[in-house]
Amino acid sequence: MEKRIFIEDNAVIIGIGDYCVGTFPMATIGVGSCVALILHDRLRSTGALAHVMLPESCGVTDRPGKFADTAIEAMVAELEGTGSARSHIVAKIVGGACMFAYSTNTLNIGRKNVDAIRNLLKEHCIRIEAEETGGRIGRSVIYRPAESGRLTIKRADGTCIDL
Amino acid sequence: MELDEQLTDALNELGNIGAAHAATTLSQMLMRPVEMAVPEVHIVDIADIYQYIGDDVSALAVFQIQGDLPDGGFLIVNIPRSAVIQLTNQMLGSTDTEREITEMDQSAVTEIGNIMVSAFLDATAELLGIIMLPSPPALAIDMAHAAFEAVVAQIAIDVNEVVIFNTELKVDAPSIHGNIILLPQPGLLKELIRLLEGLMAPS
Repeated sequence: MEKRIFIEDNAVIIGIGDYCVGTFPMATIGVGSCVALILHDRLRSTGALAHVMLPESCGVTDRPGKFADTAIEAMVAELEGTGSARSHIVAKIVGGACMFAYSTNTLNIGRKNVDAIRNLLKEHCIRIEAEETGGRIGRSVIYRPAESGRLTIKRADGTCIDL
Repeated sequence: MELDEQLTDALNELGNIGAAHAATTLSQMLMRPVEMAVPEVHIVDIADIYQYIGDDVSALAVFQIQGDLPDGGFLIVNIPRSAVIQLTNQMLGSTDTEREITEMDQSAVTEIGNIMVSAFLDATAELLGIIMLPSPPALAIDMAHAAFEAVVAQIAIDVNEVVIFNTELKVDAPSIHGNIILLPQPGLLKELIRLLEGLMAPS
């Protein structure tokens, strides 16, 4: 299988179900039905990125980044643990696409992921600053906490935008 | 999850038989020889899938495996964008390679995928003495990883590793290449292992 990754800097690649906290650039490739969830501390130029696969953990805790509920919990705890105040944290969400046109329900988990994340962010009193979700398109993202949290999205059709 | 060497060999062989039948059907449709790489079985952590499947645009035809096991997992035919155009061109006798993907390409991939996957499942199911049938296909032409993860989200709900059977197929001049990927649900994998152990046991 061919391997090609969308990165220009030495960004840390976050795979499916993973998350990372820090000030260095973080990237995740080919986000389809999953959601790239970014929590950015505007004051400290630090943040976290998770590649969330499913909306609910149902009590599973071994891989916090995999589920929306455990990911937000873990990222907020870790950011607050390093000195971030909740009031300075904003969220950006990317992904949650419906990748298959005629498939039966099960392959279209994207919408549920986005809904779950929106609700959870509200519960945690975190504002969504920007989002690009839904549609029928895959996206790769790179997040740079040190550059005021600049988020670059590359879409499958080749277009790029900054959020 | 770990598989011993003998079992890995047996699973490889199973993939080999399935992929060989799929390659034969592809060769018949294109009326050209098709080269097949030795199939590989990988146990991959979901966080490392990006190391196997990148974000280049590809056509993925996805089939759910039905039959004796109602939810056996998925078979995926993955063909990179440029190869899709070559494939349709060869089937239709056209030569324009600079064009966009059209509905004709989508039908071609879906149909070729259907025929290859049916051959793959028929051959492996017959060997094992079970029934495995493909669902109607779901097609995505997008970043391969983006479409793939929607399938992984069905398999890896309770587990953090997936078993990927990958076989690469190649046609020369003009070059067309693609992969057939089998992603079994844990239930089907267990059943495959049980049946293979039965076949390998001295009688």
